[in-house]
Amino acid sequence: MFRWILTCFLIPMGQGAIWANNILVCPTCPVFSVKEGIRLADPCDTVTVDGGHFAEGNLLIDKELWLIGKNWPVLDGEGKTEIITVASNHVHIESFKIENVGTSYTEDRAAIRLREVSDFCIKNNQLKNAFFGIYSQHSKNGIIEGNTVHGEAKEEVSSGNAIHLWYCDNVKIINNWTSGHRDGIYLEFVNSSTIKGNLSEHNVRYGLHFMFSNDDNYLQNTFRNNGAGVAVMYSKRIGMHGNLFEKNWGPSAFGLLLKEIHDSEIEGNQFQENTVGIFAETSNRIVYSKNNFIQNGWAMRISGGCQNLQITSNNFIGNSFDLAVHTSGVDNKFDGNFWSDYAGYDLDHNGIGDVPHRPMKLFSHVVSQTPESMVLLRSLFIDILNFSEKVSPIFTPENVVDNQPRMKKWTVVSTVKTTNNALPNPPLPGKFLQPAMNSQEGAENHLK
Amino acid sequence: MRKAIMPLAITCLLVACQPAPQPLSLGQDVCAHCKMTIVDEQFAAELVTTKSKVFKFDAIECMMAFLKENDQSNYALYLVRDFESPKDWQDATTSSYLISKEIPSPMGGYLSAWNNEQSASKMQANKGGEVHTWAEIVTLFEE
Repeated sequence: MFRWILTCFLIPMGQGAIWANNILVCPTCPVFSVKEGIRLADPCDTVTVDGGHFAEGNLLIDKELWLIGKNWPVLDGEGKTEIITVASNHVHIESFKIENVGTSYTEDRAAIRLREVSDFCIKNNQLKNAFFGIYSQHSKNGIIEGNTVHGEAKEEVSSGNAIHLWYCDNVKIINNWTSGHRDGIYLEFVNSSTIKGNLSEHNVRYGLHFMFSNDDNYLQNTFRNNGAGVAVMYSKRIGMHGNLFEKNWGPSAFGLLLKEIHDSEIEGNQFQENTVGIFAETSNRIVYSKNNFIQNGWAMRISGGCQNLQITSNNFIGNSFDLAVHTSGVDNKFDGNFWSDYAGYDLDHNGIGDVPHRPMKLFSHVVSQTPESMVLLRSLFIDILNFSEKVSPIFTPENVVDNQPRMKKWTVVSTVKTTNNALPNPPLPGKFLQPAMNSQEGAENHLK
Repeated sequence: MRKAIMPLAITCLLVACQPAPQPLSLGQDVCAHCKMTIVDEQFAAELVTTKSKVFKFDAIECMMAFLKENDQSNYALYLVRDFESPKDWQDATTSSYLISKEIPSPMGGYLSAWNNEQSASKMQANKGGEVHTWAEIVTLFEE
């Protein structure tokens, strides 16, 4: 960043006091076309667009530039083209309305495409009816902040992702609001990036989707009413802190889907009213702690090949099934959780139940094998079945046991509340949530 | 009346036994291999066993991985969709395949299926990559 300031301001000054110019574009100005404004600009200039409606096809930004909107100018693709293509480093795009990107089967058209660039900032834009919203490929060191990306893919699947990153490094995705797309935020081959404070809802597939991405953090986001909340697949070292996963209902819906992910932390999250809170398959060395699982169908389903799991200090409250474990994995720990189903006692008053708790009911095993048997839930027969299994476990894995069940709930300090409370009233133009740029700081606060 | 029921029942049974392709319900169906929701019909694939059990996949590479991990002997139908007109199933064993870095598929295999070799070659000329037959793809994924 500093180097950029140096090249943009200091060096030109030294060469003869040239200052970055501001070019004003508006419908009644001498320059009335954004394309012309960009053409006239020298590197490091600012192009300010004041109001108006511009349907100029594709805008290519091939020099270092600040493109600032005032009074919400509209860039309209008329359903035909990609709208902004950024092909230069150090480009800043702020406060535009960008609308109507055409759907195409053969090319992934986007409202804003970043093509092999670095040090970009896409801020406070409103994207509507875009096929892909913000599409970043082979780019690094960027910020995507405070944008709203709304697609119209309610049922339809011929839709792209709202924020799509492909082969990117070190990108911050902060306080965006995405809805009505395929995936709210999609990351493929994206490393060392931070996703924070976003709201992702009503997307057809996932709120947030990781593929082959390592060393990323996502914190304090809300994923609501998506096809499924978040999918983390084929990735390593992902930190998941203080997020809210709620109302992801449906036969194939999960709050969080983990598939072949290793060495990760899931901490301080809230899973509320999902068909399945967490579904994990072939996921090793994962720490689940201080999470709230409230009123889910299944709080957690752990499928084959999961080893070295630590499920400790969580609250399981009012779920139809707390755990379904189908793995004989070694070194899995389930100690020190609070289970609202726990029926034991604490005679020595040390806060820890004297009788170990077996969170996996026989019936959750039966339902996993034969989903149709669900109709028998809440019947007396099933209660007897569960009770007999509890007394002498035969079918459920023997090592799925909490030896230190808590008598009282853990107080989970969920930072979602503080950052995302404003989100039921979604961000309005000019009223975006205050950015918290230093994500590391946020994570630390949360951990306190 | 009673005479009519018997043949009808037998026909129904026979028809029901015939392994048949099942349509996709996009956004609802889940990939049998990677558990992802299937939303992109261009890359979708399907296996139907001789006993009419159906496995759906969000990507052709998922189907290949599934075939590698599971018993391969009892499938009646191997189905994929044409990249250009992905509305219907077509026989996977007679389709052509293009592996091109310019056409990213859902599971990182860069693999798309084509109705015939001409259209695959046409796209190959445009986007680069390699055209393969079903047999070649099978050996490729077995490695």
